[in-house]
Amino acid sequence: MTDIIEIQGLTKKYGELTAVNDLTLTIQQGEVFGFIGPNGAGKTTTMRILTTLLKPTSGTIRVAGYDIADDPRAVRRAIGYMPDFFGVYDDIKVWEYLDFFAACYDIPANTRAGMVDDLLALVDLGHKKEEQVESLSRGMKQRLCLARTLAHDPDVLILDEPASGLDPRARIEIRELLRELQSMGKTIFFSSHILSEVADVCTTIGIIEAGQLVASGDMTEMKKQLRAHRLIQVQITGDDTTPVQEFLLRAEPVTGIVAGHEADLPHNAVRFDFSGDDETLSHLLTEMVAAGLPIFSFSEETGDLEDVFLQVTKGIIN
Amino acid sequence: MTELTQPQPKPQFRRLRALLQNPITVKELRSRMRGRRAFVVLSVYLALMSGFIALIYLAYAQSSGGPYGPDPRQAGKVVFTAVLGVQSFLVIFVGPAFTAGAISGEKERQTYDLLRTTLLTADSFVAGKLFSALSYVFLLILAAVPLQSIAFLLGGVALIELVLSQTLLLVAAVTFALFGLFASSRMKTTLAASVLTYAMSLFMTIGIPLLVGLFSAILGPLLFASSLSGIGEMLLAYGGLLLAATNLPATLIVSDIFLLQEGALFFYKETFSGYSAYIFSPWPLFLTFYILLALLLYWLIVRRIRKIADK
Repeated sequence: MTDIIEIQGLTKKYGELTAVNDLTLTIQQGEVFGFIGPNGAGKTTTMRILTTLLKPTSGTIRVAGYDIADDPRAVRRAIGYMPDFFGVYDDIKVWEYLDFFAACYDIPANTRAGMVDDLLALVDLGHKKEEQVESLSRGMKQRLCLARTLAHDPDVLILDEPASGLDPRARIEIRELLRELQSMGKTIFFSSHILSEVADVCTTIGIIEAGQLVASGDMTEMKKQLRAHRLIQVQITGDDTTPVQEFLLRAEPVTGIVAGHEADLPHNAVRFDFSGDDETLSHLLTEMVAAGLPIFSFSEETGDLEDVFLQVTKGIIN
Repeated sequence: MTELTQPQPKPQFRRLRALLQNPITVKELRSRMRGRRAFVVLSVYLALMSGFIALIYLAYAQSSGGPYGPDPRQAGKVVFTAVLGVQSFLVIFVGPAFTAGAISGEKERQTYDLLRTTLLTADSFVAGKLFSALSYVFLLILAAVPLQSIAFLLGGVALIELVLSQTLLLVAAVTFALFGLFASSRMKTTLAASVLTYAMSLFMTIGIPLLVGLFSAILGPLLFASSLSGIGEMLLAYGGLLLAATNLPATLIVSDIFLLQEGALFFYKETFSGYSAYIFSPWPLFLTFYILLALLLYWLIVRRIRKIADK
């Protein structure tokens, strides 16, 4: 896969304040990249620079092979941008809104009518074609805004908090749309502070805090890397977990043991920290079974994105 | 085989067609002319204008009625001047009001960034905003032409006066609209843009004559303590004409006086205490000055829009 967004040493300063500090990031074509971080971390600033709205203090950024400083027009052609607010024109119909932006993207007048219908069908707003934009619900406006970003069939979609302020149903609809767009081969770079929504859709994530990228990469891998010790839970038949605890205390990669009654665990369970790899873990299980311990469940606890987020961010910005 | 090609429009028509197909123009005109609002505004404007002209005519007829009633030629002149006065007001104060919110309004509605990430060029954006605002002002001016024709019915107004006055109004309308657009590109809110626009319009219309008047009152007695020489008189006349050329009402009035009293469309010869000199009508200078000012403003606005923000 080719790199479609390449950010090298991006820094943005507002006087004394450093909004983005030496950010380096690469996103490959077809990825859904979740850019997460607390409010004020530098997400919107990064996105505004990517969309040629803001000049960086230093660093180089290439989108779809074009440098944002040298060829901003080519970058604009390659991206569809959806900001974290919905700009409304008074007295404009839904189809006119899309037609207007399609015209702004140099789409010829004779192809616009069909294209508007297709876009409205994609975001399930075909029945609202003749309605005034102002009369749409927030969720519908957000879908219309997403349709607008697709008017010129861009390769990259840059979406700033696309589900912000939406009710759960509208949020699910946006999520489904993002999945559909990914299946259409679009690269999606989107920011959010709602972690569950990022976890559901993204293939890769980047976590930013105080202008610095504190972690980035494939989501599953990141969860593993960020956890220095893996948490393994063992459950046995019977109530006495002492033999299991004694066995585990002798095993080298085990660093800490919590019995069931000491934590929020079943009474016949033991949780332990394990610093070894998959092979060592498999070997440990074989030994435990060979030692006659009555194991009926042996599993690794997968931390969710909240755990990752809390682990890598320090709460500098609220 | 003969190749069939579609006839291409001439360059000037191509430019006009691009302007008419400009997405900003289409959207703005669609919104502005939709529904009854535009029709009602135009009707009320024409009703008020008709009432105003009727009042002017009646007032003139009552004050100057001779044994055979008022002189129709003079009455025609009064009506023509009154319509021109209203049109000047439209150009100086109403036109800029349309453009003062054109860019700042986009910022307030949070649509400015959306537009800036599209392929719409800064030039197309500014041209679309200007054209859509001016087209409504021109509609108001054109709608008043039948009222102006009453002056021709009464007599006393030459065709050249009409052509000259409408040309001056047209150029001034573009420049004053660009004042509004310039302020709108600089300010974040429409309120601030409107204040700056009216400050610029008032400065050009009232401020410059007031300042010159003030300087003349203070410096006049010092500079012209003794009686003026021929050259002094001539310089004073040129200074006055230069000043008139910065001001729409003054240019309209002075150019018309030269045309009627001296029969001079461009210039006439005048003698100042033995020195003879050509006195130029202010309208060519006005047109040159306002066209150059309009080009400068247009360039500054496009540059501002094109610029990628630092903050």
